[in-house]
Amino acid sequence: MKDEAYFKQLAHQLMFELSDEEAADIKKEFETLNKQLELLENVNTEGVEEMVYPFETPTSFLREDCVENVVSVEDALKNVHKSRARHVLVPKVVK
Amino acid sequence: MATMLEMMKSNVEKNVSEALKKAQDVQGKLNAVVTFVDPTEQLENYNKNGLMAGVPIVLKDNVCTKGIETTASSGILQGYVPIYNAHIVDRLQAEGAIVIAKSSMDELAMGGTNKTAYTGPVHNPYDLDRISGGSSGGSAALVAAGVVPFAIGSDTGDSVRKPASFCGICGVKPTYGRISRYGIIPYSSSLDHVGYFTRSVRDAAVALEVLAGRDDRDMTSSFEPVPHYLDQVKGNLKGKKLAILKNVVDVIENKEILDCFNKVVEEVKKQGAEVKEVELNEDLMKAMLPTYYLIANCEATANHSNLDGIRFGLQKEAKSCEDVMIASRTEGFGSLIKKRFVIGSYGLFEENQDKLFRKAQKVRRLIVEELKNALDGLDGILAPASGTVAPKIEDQNQDDLSDSYLVAENHMVLGNFSGYPSATIPMGEVGGLPIGLNITCHPFDEGNMFDILRGIELITGLEDKIKEVL
Amino acid sequence: MEYEVIIGIEIHCELKTKTKMFSSAPTSFGKTANSCVNEIDLGHPGTMPCVNKTAVEYAIMACTALHLDIDPLVKFDRKNYYYSDLPKGFQITQQFHPIGRNGYVDIEVNGEEKRIRVNRLHMEEDTAKQFHTNSGTMIDYNRAGTPLIEIVSEPDIRNGKEAAAYVEALRSMLYYLGVSDVKMEEGSMRCDVNVSIRPKGQVEFNTKTEIKNLNSISNVQKAIDYEVERQKEIYENGGTVIQETRRFDEESKTTVSMRKKEGNVDYKFFPEPNIFPIQLDLNWVKKIQESIPEMPKVRKQRYIEQYGLSEYDANVLVQTKELSEFFEEVLQHTSHIKMAANWIIGDFTAAMVKSGCSLSENPVKAEYLATLLNMIQDKEISGKQGKEVFEEVFKGKDPKQVVADKGMKQNSDAGALLEMITQVLDEQPQSIQDYANGKDRAVGFLVGQVMKKSKGQANPAMTNQLIVQELKKRIG
Repeated sequence: MKDEAYFKQLAHQLMFELSDEEAADIKKEFETLNKQLELLENVNTEGVEEMVYPFETPTSFLREDCVENVVSVEDALKNVHKSRARHVLVPKVVK
Repeated sequence: MATMLEMMKSNVEKNVSEALKKAQDVQGKLNAVVTFVDPTEQLENYNKNGLMAGVPIVLKDNVCTKGIETTASSGILQGYVPIYNAHIVDRLQAEGAIVIAKSSMDELAMGGTNKTAYTGPVHNPYDLDRISGGSSGGSAALVAAGVVPFAIGSDTGDSVRKPASFCGICGVKPTYGRISRYGIIPYSSSLDHVGYFTRSVRDAAVALEVLAGRDDRDMTSSFEPVPHYLDQVKGNLKGKKLAILKNVVDVIENKEILDCFNKVVEEVKKQGAEVKEVELNEDLMKAMLPTYYLIANCEATANHSNLDGIRFGLQKEAKSCEDVMIASRTEGFGSLIKKRFVIGSYGLFEENQDKLFRKAQKVRRLIVEELKNALDGLDGILAPASGTVAPKIEDQNQDDLSDSYLVAENHMVLGNFSGYPSATIPMGEVGGLPIGLNITCHPFDEGNMFDILRGIELITGLEDKIKEVL
Repeated sequence: MEYEVIIGIEIHCELKTKTKMFSSAPTSFGKTANSCVNEIDLGHPGTMPCVNKTAVEYAIMACTALHLDIDPLVKFDRKNYYYSDLPKGFQITQQFHPIGRNGYVDIEVNGEEKRIRVNRLHMEEDTAKQFHTNSGTMIDYNRAGTPLIEIVSEPDIRNGKEAAAYVEALRSMLYYLGVSDVKMEEGSMRCDVNVSIRPKGQVEFNTKTEIKNLNSISNVQKAIDYEVERQKEIYENGGTVIQETRRFDEESKTTVSMRKKEGNVDYKFFPEPNIFPIQLDLNWVKKIQESIPEMPKVRKQRYIEQYGLSEYDANVLVQTKELSEFFEEVLQHTSHIKMAANWIIGDFTAAMVKSGCSLSENPVKAEYLATLLNMIQDKEISGKQGKEVFEEVFKGKDPKQVVADKGMKQNSDAGALLEMITQVLDEQPQSIQDYANGKDRAVGFLVGQVMKKSKGQANPAMTNQLIVQELKKRIG
C-alpha cells in the first residue's frame, strides 16, 4: 500500500506540494480507486484495442504553411508578471 | 411561431440591460457569476440580422474571451485575461449574441456539484440550499432563473446534462466535433464537448446552428455540413423508434422519478412512437465510472501542465523558476484538483499505463460498442437523467460504489465515451424540484434528436419554465 | 585489452517552413524576442495544435533521402515533463509511430564505404529559447513550436571519424533537400552522441554516456575521440563508467559532466488526443518522393562518370548545392567542362570569398561565364585577358561587351602579327643575335615586345610561333 510520503513525492514531480491532510485524503482515495479498478478488471479486454478517440476514421486535413496568426509582443507579454527587454523574466532556472 | 431567441430581436437594449441587472440582483442568492461583462461595445456593433441577434447570453468561465478575465473558476487563473477568443465566441457574436457574464463552474470543470468554484458554491434557483449541479452549474442556474435564455457550458461526463436536470431546463451535448473546442479550457480532450442551455427545444435547435461547424484550428472538429436544425423540429413522435435504458431504470430508488418518467414514456407511446427496452451489459455499466475517472484524470493532468505561473495567471514569488512553478501550482489548485492530478499522473506512469489508462481506454471501446449495438435501428435511447433531485449543498460527496450511484448517476457519460449527441430536458418535478429526461442518439443526428425532444416537450408542457429567485 | 566502440547519434534538425509545426505563427531566426508567437506557442489555456502540411512534406523528403519506410498514417504523442522552456508542459512528438523507420546512410571513411542504419525519423516541436543572467532567466518563445525532425541512428558507428562522416552526410543531404539550413553553429542542426565501449567479444553493451551541445562536426569527432579514451582509462583502472550527460569543452578539448541521469525520467507518453490520425494521400507522398533533388553523393558520382571530372573536383563542386547547380548552368552554354570546373573552383570561388558574397547572391550570370570561357578557348582573347574580363563579369557585365569596350579582342590575324613582328625584329637586332647563339630566351623577350606593341592583344601562342618562324628565316 502506498503511503503519504509516496503521494507527496508524486505531487512534487507534478510541481505542487500536498499538505499532510491532502496526502492523507489521497491515500484514502486510492483505496477507493483500487476498489473501482476491480470493476474494471471484471471486464475482459483481451484482444481489445484502446479507444483513444471517440471517432476513428482517419482524417486527411493538413494546414497550409502560411502565416495567419501572430500576436503582438504586447499581447504575448500581457499576462506575464515580469518581463525584461521583451523577454519573459523568471528567477534563475536551476537545471 | 418564433422561437424565444428570435423574439429577443426587438427591444434589444432593454432586454440586455434587464438581463444584466437581473444577473446582478440574483448574484447574492445564486452566486452564479464570476465576471460581469459591460455590453456597451457589443450593443454598438452587433449583427442585427443574426440568428441570435440581441440575445443576452452567458458563457461558462472556461470559455476564453479576449480582453475579459477567464478563470475556469480556479485560483491558478486569477487575473488571466485571454489574448484571443474561443471559436464559439466568434460564432455567437457573429450571429448577434451579447455576452453579459462569465459564469461559475466547478474548478477546471472537474466536478459535478459546482461546489469547488474559487468563488464558492452556486445555488439552485429552485432551492437555494441545493446545488445547481456541475460542472456547468453557473450557466444552468442563470438560465433557469430567467436571467438569460441561453448559456454555454461544457460536458465531459455529464456536466451540462446533469445540471440541466437539477435546474429544470434543456441541456445539450452535441456530437463530438460538432462544435469547435478551440479556446475552451480543456478538462479531458477525448471526452470534452462544448454544450449549452436553453429553456426550449426549438431554441436549442437554433443555437446549434450558430455554434456548429468546422474550425480548422480544432483538428477534431467535424466537416459535416450544418443544416437549419429548426426545420427538422416538428415534435411529431409518430413512427420514432425509441428504447428505455433498463439498466438505469432498474436501479433508481426514487419512485416519484420513475413514475414521472414512465408517465412520459406512456404518452410518447400514445403519440405513435415505438418504445422498447434495451439492456447493456451490467459489468460494462458498472465500469463506466472508473473508466471515466481514469481517462479524464489522466488526460486532465497533462492538459493542465501549462498552468505553471510563468506566462499567465497566478504567479508566486520564489527564488528559482522551479519554485515559482511549485508555489503557484500549490496555491492555485484546489485540493480536489491536486487529488485528481495525482491519480491521473499515477495512471500515466509507464509501469501503470497498461493496467490503468490503457485498460480504461479498452473498456471504453467495449462500452461504446455495446451502446452502438443497442442504438442500432433506433432513433434514440431514453432514461431519467438522474435518480435524484438536486442534492443539498451541505451533503458530502459519497464515494459510493452502489449500483444506483454507479449506474443511475453516471450513465450519461455514455454520450462522452461514444461522442454521440445527448440532451436532457425537464420531465417534471418531485417535491417542487426539477427532474430531467435524457436521450442519446446517433452521431450528427441532432435534428432528429431535437424533433423527438420537441415531441416530449409538447407532452410535458415544460417549455420556458423560469424559477424566479427574487 | 581491445575495445569495441559503440556510438549512436541523434540529430535534431529545424525545418525551414514558414510557420510552426502546430501553429500558423511564423518561424524565425534572429527576430526580436516574442514577436513570432501566438497563443498556441505560448501554451495558453484552451489552445489546440494544428499540423503543418509542409513540415510533413519535408519530413517525407528526408525519409526518402535516408531510405526510410514511410508510415502513411501520421500520429502524434505527448511527452510530458515540466521545464521553463516548455510552455505546454508537454512536447508533441511521435513516440510510438515515427513517420520513418528502418533506413540507412552510406558514408565513406578512408576510402571505404560503410552503411550506417537509421532507426527512425520523427516530427516534433522545438522548445523556447532561454538564456540565463545573474538576475534571472529570460525566455523567448519565438523558437517554441518550430518544426523539428529527429533522426536516430542505430549504434553502428565505431569511431569519431565515422561519426563525423555520418553527420556530414546527413547535413549535406538535408541541405540539398532544402528542408533545413542545417547550421550547427546556429542551432538549426543539433547533434547528441551516445558513446559506450565494451571489450571485444563481449555481447552486452556497457554503460553509455550522452554528449550534448556539440556545435560543429569537428567537435563531434573530437568529443568522441576524447570520450572513448576517457572510458578506456576508467575501465583499465577497474572503475565503472557512470551513466550521465556530458558536454564538450572546446578549450580543454575534453568532455565534462553536465548532470547525472537521475534514473530514467518517466515521460508518461500517450497519444495526443487533439490530433486525429492523419491518413496521407499516397499519390501526394509519391509525388514528393519523386521530386526530391539529386543527392550530393549521386551527383558527385555523375560528375566523375559523365563529365570525367576528378574525384577532388567533383567533391568540391558538390559541396554546396548552389555551386554545383551553377556549374551545370554554365555547362548549358559551353562544352568546355574541365575549364568550367577549373574556373569555378578557382577564380570564381576566390572572387566570391573576397567579396563576401554568398552563393544565394551570386553576381555572375552563368551564361556570361560560359561565354567568357568560350572566348578564351576560341582564342578570341588570352587567358590573361580573360581574368581581366572576369573581374567585370563579376560586376554583372556581359563579357562580349567588356571585350568590345576595352578593344581587347585578341589579334590572331597572322598578317597583322607578322607586321608587328617584323617591326620588332627590326628594332631588336641583339635578340636575333642571341637567338642565333642558342639563347632561346630571346624568343620570350621578343614575344613580350610584340605584346607591348599590340597593347596585349596579340595572340601569344601564335606570336611565339611566328617569331620563331621569322627568326629562322633571318638567321638563315
